[in-house]
Amino acid sequence: MVKMANKKTRGPDKTQANTSDIVVKKLDDATDIVRQPPVFTNDSKYICIASGRQIGIYSVESAEKVHSLEEHTFDVIGLAIKDDNILLSCDASGETIEWNINNGTTLKKAPLVVAGIKEFHSFHYPGNGKVLVATPSTYTTNMSSLWIVDSHTRPRKLFADIKSTPHSIAFGCNQGNGSLVVVALQDHSVVVKDITNGVDKKHMTDQRKFTCVALHSEKLIMATGDISGRILIWHDFVHKSRPVKTVYHWHTLPVNSVCFSSEGEYLYSGGSEKVMVKWRLGMSRKQFLPRMGSSIKYIVNAPDNICVATSHSDNAIRFIDSTNKINRAIIGLVKHDPIRGFADTEPIKESVMPTGLVFDPRSHGIFFNAQAGFLQLFDPQKNSLIFNMDVANRNVLTDERNLVIGNAEVLRVAVSPTGEWLATLEVWSNMSAGYHDMNLKFWRYDAVQANYELNTDVTMPHQDRVTALCFQPGLLGTEMPCLVSIGRDLKFKIWRLVDDTDIYRQKESWSCDVAGDFRKLTPSALSFSEDGSLMAIAFQDTVTLWDPTSINLNTTLSHTLVQEPIELMEFGRDNCFRYLVCASKSALYAWDVISQGLVWKVGQLHSSVRCLVPDPKSCYMAAVLQNSEVFVFSPSSSKPVHSVPKMNSSEPIAALFVPRPNPLASGPEWLINSRLLIVDDQQEFLCVDDVSSAGFNQKLTTPISHMDSLPWTPFSAMKAEKQISAAKQLVPVVHQTSGIQGYKSVQSLLETSASALPPMSRICSLFMSDLMIKHGPKAVTAKVNSVDRTSTDLPLSNGHIDSKTQDFSEETTLQKLLTLDCQWLVETVK
Amino acid sequence: MASFKKTQIRSLPKIGQKVTADTLYWRKLNFPVTVKEFGPIDYIDVMPIEPYFIAVSSAAKVQIYNPITHQVHRHFTRFKEAAYGASIRSDGKLVIAGCDEGHVKLFDIGSKSLLRIFKGHKGPVHRCKFTTDNVHVVSFSDDKSVALWDLPSETEIIKFSEHSDYVRAGCVSSISSDLFLSGSFDHTVKLYDARSPTGSTISVDHGSPVESVLMYPSNSIFVSVGGTELRVWDMLAGGRLLARVSQHHKTITCLHLASDGKRLVTGGLDRHAKIYDVQSYQVVHTLDFPSPVLSLGITPDDFTVVAGMANGLISMQHRQTQAEARALNPKQSLKVQKKSQTAYRFRLNADFRSVNRTFNPATDVEVATKTDTNFVSRYDMFLRKFQYSKALDTVLTPYIRKKKPAITVGVMHELIRRNGLKSALAGRDDSSLSSILTFLARNINDPSHANIIIQVANTLLEIYESSSLTPQSEKLFLQLQEHVNREVEYVKHLMEIEGMLHILLASTTTQARRSSTYAVQGSPVKPMLPSAAAAANATMIFNVG
Repeated sequence: MVKMANKKTRGPDKTQANTSDIVVKKLDDATDIVRQPPVFTNDSKYICIASGRQIGIYSVESAEKVHSLEEHTFDVIGLAIKDDNILLSCDASGETIEWNINNGTTLKKAPLVVAGIKEFHSFHYPGNGKVLVATPSTYTTNMSSLWIVDSHTRPRKLFADIKSTPHSIAFGCNQGNGSLVVVALQDHSVVVKDITNGVDKKHMTDQRKFTCVALHSEKLIMATGDISGRILIWHDFVHKSRPVKTVYHWHTLPVNSVCFSSEGEYLYSGGSEKVMVKWRLGMSRKQFLPRMGSSIKYIVNAPDNICVATSHSDNAIRFIDSTNKINRAIIGLVKHDPIRGFADTEPIKESVMPTGLVFDPRSHGIFFNAQAGFLQLFDPQKNSLIFNMDVANRNVLTDERNLVIGNAEVLRVAVSPTGEWLATLEVWSNMSAGYHDMNLKFWRYDAVQANYELNTDVTMPHQDRVTALCFQPGLLGTEMPCLVSIGRDLKFKIWRLVDDTDIYRQKESWSCDVAGDFRKLTPSALSFSEDGSLMAIAFQDTVTLWDPTSINLNTTLSHTLVQEPIELMEFGRDNCFRYLVCASKSALYAWDVISQGLVWKVGQLHSSVRCLVPDPKSCYMAAVLQNSEVFVFSPSSSKPVHSVPKMNSSEPIAALFVPRPNPLASGPEWLINSRLLIVDDQQEFLCVDDVSSAGFNQKLTTPISHMDSLPWTPFSAMKAEKQISAAKQLVPVVHQTSGIQGYKSVQSLLETSASALPPMSRICSLFMSDLMIKHGPKAVTAKVNSVDRTSTDLPLSNGHIDSKTQDFSEETTLQKLLTLDCQWLVETVK
Repeated sequence: MASFKKTQIRSLPKIGQKVTADTLYWRKLNFPVTVKEFGPIDYIDVMPIEPYFIAVSSAAKVQIYNPITHQVHRHFTRFKEAAYGASIRSDGKLVIAGCDEGHVKLFDIGSKSLLRIFKGHKGPVHRCKFTTDNVHVVSFSDDKSVALWDLPSETEIIKFSEHSDYVRAGCVSSISSDLFLSGSFDHTVKLYDARSPTGSTISVDHGSPVESVLMYPSNSIFVSVGGTELRVWDMLAGGRLLARVSQHHKTITCLHLASDGKRLVTGGLDRHAKIYDVQSYQVVHTLDFPSPVLSLGITPDDFTVVAGMANGLISMQHRQTQAEARALNPKQSLKVQKKSQTAYRFRLNADFRSVNRTFNPATDVEVATKTDTNFVSRYDMFLRKFQYSKALDTVLTPYIRKKKPAITVGVMHELIRRNGLKSALAGRDDSSLSSILTFLARNINDPSHANIIIQVANTLLEIYESSSLTPQSEKLFLQLQEHVNREVEYVKHLMEIEGMLHILLASTTTQARRSSTYAVQGSPVKPMLPSAAAAANATMIFNVG
């Protein structure tokens, strides 16, 4: 049974690996824009936003990107406006660049020299050529020292052991004598320094830790927020050792940011309540702007006092006008907050981005988690967000002071092969109350409205957590789509679309067709063969193969060599359709579903396999290990065609092969049609790609698929309604996993008694044509390069033909031979 | 920013008859006005033009009723024995009726005078019809013949004697004056064309004695009823059977079109009238009558439905007018009235504003407009303000608690999500506690809400277990316990029954399997294997493939 068993190596062989022209690159456009506070220009027309190594200049009026400044080689740590149209930026290595805001050109580059320090935490520019930089503290971790750097004097250390967040340092001007005042936060105290006059003060309050500080632009007034949600306004804090304080307390959660309006009349504050509070100084009046989407990180006021920008943890910057309304927003790719409130026993892969990356064949985008209860669609070609969709449709609840209140989270997503249907599973659970909710929702894409419409909402589809969802691939347009779900309640369920149309209206909804179980074992993984004719469900160490239409158990596969529970399982694609690759905690192995034997096994991996992703455009598959090693292999053999060594300390969460719009001219076979995208636990996107196409900024050349849904324009009238192309369309390949070509006609010939048969000359040609491989424009894909030699030495008794691997010309000649061959038979019969 | 999202109220679809547009439409028929006649009502015909007089033939007379006043407008009694199948001409001036002595008699409705007598049939004439040109009459007789008569000359033009039993059903085409259809007790339905006197053009077998036939206004389809079946035939395809519908459990006696030809109505001896959709032949509504229905008449505007029954009752039902609806349900009508009044006031206001508006803002001035706020229910208002106790109080009012428990459960669900259930339930006085407890006791058996109700009940017990309770609350807690115990008992019983059923099912399947193995043993069939040549052939194909 076992053909090649027990091949014990430490990790797959790396002999073939050629890493020379394949690189792993971070997708910069997908990084967040809210790590640093944004900066308004002096005329309040533009806003400068740092995102990773880039700086974007956006128009405040339209929230559109005007310039993208890409010169820094490290992450930008601070931005400042130097003059009316000069932007000053500093990166983590201390390189400062001056930019012209109007045309986006570099004016000056200069490194910061501070006592040989190579790493910087934050950067501020009070003016007059003075620069404030925070550097790592010498003794305590997570703390900084603040230095003042001047062009003509040596760098001077102002404070040691201050907090390193950008809003724990503030500076202002003492109107009385024009001196520069710098304040910084320590855990329980505020340190103040009047630079010009050399006054030092340290103010302490009670045991509440400070979180943020801001200085009034004109008067010497300081505002601090702390973790209890209290805001203190300090008056005359430079000279008096016990200054007068006013308490503004509305927030229940820590205050994340405070900001004075530029006239100094109002104070803005925000925190995790997702509410921006506008305080009128000296009065008890306050205004609220509730339900801002997600918690506020920074509040920045425009110099002209008309607009306020708030940075939110969902990677959005929102602009609030003078009537206290949000009127514009710059929205980036949303990072998923790790799920809290679930049981602690959940592994990390369930808490960060639990949906993983799901490819949408309709828009060629990728679905994954956004903020709690939301799902976003990301376009990997353009590196942009397509939309952000509210799945749960509930109010997002904020925590209370000592209480974590969980929100509904989207845990699983599946997209039907045509992209018409989207299935989402959302879970809300409160383990302390012992109560949980689960909803399986089916959405249908409406091409006219260009959005998804909720079709069916199933409450508690399974009694316990659902482990996987998968649509059946390879169905024809006339067949009703089908979804399979497996859950920890030991059941697998098959959901089908039911047509419930009566004379009054059209109605279609999903309902559970079959629920099954297998020996009371927990199903752990689910996979469909590429043509959808076979469904594999792993129950611990046993693989069961089912016929998805009749739900008959075809076979069970298990072996003494592989007795660990299966965690991941995928069918091979293309010419490796017969292999089923399984991953357990320490081993990776493949079954041949036709001969029903174990083909190969790689044991004792360095760490467990985190993701197993097949490439939809080739036969290759990638296994991403927990220690961030990546192996690309063909399921037919255990030898990897490429391996990526450990990348960095981060742990991969999910991976996906993304098809390219245009195939690569040259390169390794597995990279020609797609590239591998990996997300790590920091939710950074890494791309394994050929060095030649590593410039990801290539513009999209293929037409965008949602062109069809756009409204009619005069220009669209010029476009041809119908386009005729000589190119043959690809039709999903259906592998013949059972039966022989023309078996039926042979059978009928044999079963009919000889006396009842019509004359041989009459049926011969019909019979022969039945035995021939039919190919119209349907079965042939002119693909020569992937002829798999391993499939040719198969034992013939298995009877499998992979029509896709055939060379077109070879087949026609052979067929000609065949028809010639038959000719003699016909003649002899005559 | 994002507006407050309303609390989701989960309501499950109700099991039972669905309320559709058709049920609402046919339910609007008023309580019937009944008239008692001496014999069974043989036939009802409705005048196709206003005032939609109804001709009723029963016993030895034909009566013409006014559908509005239910009074007899005219009656014709010049029959020796029973009169049958009175039918009114399309202009509403003449009426024709068959009778037991085999004559067909023509009367003038206006003057009540007998104008013509068509003699020639040897048996009673049960149905007679005017053709579309209004100058011919078709009669269907028990002497197994169908005859076409000329009205002015009172002479027989053609007679078809193809049937082998009584002809008790017939109708004429609404387009051609030459086409007519007869249905007979010999199970056949025949289509005749007066232009081809040799015989019937189409003959179809209904399968049981035909009680009534009907031709669609388009003349491409005809319907026959008889026995418990309704059959639909395609006339253009030479009598192809299109549909067979069997919805009655006794003989279907009559057939009528309604709703402008979009619905088909059949009445039967099972005392029902069924209304079908003419495209799908699905039953959309059923009307019930006190005794077997023999004949049906529906005015073209669907305003009056008349049914004649075997015990001589004529039931006339009117469609409810708006005034009647208002009189029947004064409360609702008051609400509607009020609404219309307020709408009028606002309309007035709006007009007033538009007339008096002299200020036209410049293009660069932004005018602040009042945004339309959606209606926010009280519980949502309190939830928005985090006032959980008050939110729970608003949904525990007797009306919501009893009539719309889904709302109460929805708010409780939201409170569980917000972790505010404990604070909402705690510190309640006796009366509010009792309202919660009665709600829980009433709904804890409901499987659609049970998981949330149980959660609330657990929290409630946790809060109040150590506090001293008044006797009334104690009693309610005990009542809740009793409900739970009873439910547990039910579930136990159900599981026992399920177990029994499993045993029965298992035994039947084993038996079936055993019998099937016997069957196999009885006739051994050897599976045929491919011969060597065939196998070689197959291998050859593989090499190619």
